[in-house]
Amino acid sequence: MYNVSAEHAIGIVGGLIALPIALLALRFHPRWRSVPGTVQAAAVLMAVTAGVHLSLIPHHLATQPLTSLLFLFNGAAFITLAASFTWRWWRLASAAMLVATVFGYLFYVAVGLEGPDQVGIATKLVEVTALGLALVPVRGEVGRTHRSWRWASLGVAMPLLLVITGATVWIADLARPDARHVHAGALLQSTNTFPTPPQLAAANALYAETKSAIQPFEDWHQAWAAGYRPGGSTTLPSTHWMNQRYVDAGYVMDPQRPQGLVYANTHHGPVLLGAMFQMKNINQFGPDPGGPITAWHQHENICFTPIGFEFSLMTPFATCPIGAIDITASPMLHIWVVDNPHGGPFAVDIDPTVVAALDRT
Amino acid sequence: MMNATPTTSRPEAAFVLLLLQAIFWMVAGLSALPFALAGEVHMIGLGLATLLLALFVCLMGIGVLWRRRWARRAALVVEVTCMLGAGLTLLPPLGANRGPVALLVNVALPIAVIWLLWGRRTRALFT
Repeated sequence: MYNVSAEHAIGIVGGLIALPIALLALRFHPRWRSVPGTVQAAAVLMAVTAGVHLSLIPHHLATQPLTSLLFLFNGAAFITLAASFTWRWWRLASAAMLVATVFGYLFYVAVGLEGPDQVGIATKLVEVTALGLALVPVRGEVGRTHRSWRWASLGVAMPLLLVITGATVWIADLARPDARHVHAGALLQSTNTFPTPPQLAAANALYAETKSAIQPFEDWHQAWAAGYRPGGSTTLPSTHWMNQRYVDAGYVMDPQRPQGLVYANTHHGPVLLGAMFQMKNINQFGPDPGGPITAWHQHENICFTPIGFEFSLMTPFATCPIGAIDITASPMLHIWVVDNPHGGPFAVDIDPTVVAALDRT
Repeated sequence: MMNATPTTSRPEAAFVLLLLQAIFWMVAGLSALPFALAGEVHMIGLGLATLLLALFVCLMGIGVLWRRRWARRAALVVEVTCMLGAGLTLLPPLGANRGPVALLVNVALPIAVIWLLWGRRTRALFT
């Protein structure tokens, strides 16, 4: 959802090429100056979305001929509508076409025919903007302008389309992440598929060494004395305690000096769940002795707020709540020293039932 | 279909963009609330503040549509602030998303609103 799919990247080029062409070509329309700027802008945006759809045809032709045909129809229809803004039924036809195109995309995403990506979402934003500009009544219009119908359509269609679009792509992205993405947008390090015997041995050695090294920190006072501090809210089921000195020093996967410890916040105090190694810079994954077992992960597109050191997820529209900014956390590797039935000792996440059970004991 | 040539439709175009922005803020505010339920207590405040901002941006859009001077000024202040915020987030190496959606929503949209509302002739429309 937050990346540009390789086969859709050409769509950006198509849209960018269509923009100046539309701006230039539509100026030659004999009645260009007789229509409001909102109509002109809507016509240009429809030409842009036509450019995106038409440029996607070659990539889809071999594998998805029906989709290519729909792209062709879409492109041709939007070009026709962009050029026929003086037509009596232009608003109705444009609105119907734009709404149908947005729902068509959402259908493809919902049933899994298409993965949500930046080009798709950006195109939908352009289309919803075009819809708003086509519908918005302009002061000074005379004749049968159907203002009340247009206001009603605008007020309902724009919020509804955007909320449905956001919800659909978000749910589809979280429910069907690609092979390298796990929970809530964490990007996994690229590795071989199955671990070799030496990788298995290396992973076991790393686990044993780390478990032994952090055993003293089962008493959280020892961790505190060593410089570890809670790095977020302690009202959550678990909290990462970070050692800023080790983070700054940039130790790489040193079992004696892990950058973080993870504690369960139980009613009888913090209970050690595991250690966390973290690299100093984003996009630089650490050494991977255990192959797929010890793959690092990087949290991307998270909204971080210094108020309480809390996190949420960036929306599909690239926005965060006020007071939070979109960041990427540098690659990390967890080693869970408690039993983690879903995922094992190097999993991205600790099983929430394990944390809940610790709280009950 | 088009029966007259209005003097300008810049306020109407700005209204559409401000309405879009208000919806984006609304989604951001709502998205913070589940995290508050999960124990991130400060997200309640941030989520509610974001929803209030969404409401304000929507009212500001209506004010722009009605050619209110305060709304134009407020919109320019909000959009310039958004541009500064986008610059501070996108330029340093924080790993912020720089994809087409982020650029459209956080850069192109504020620039478009500023462009639509800027200038002496546009200012003269607002009372």
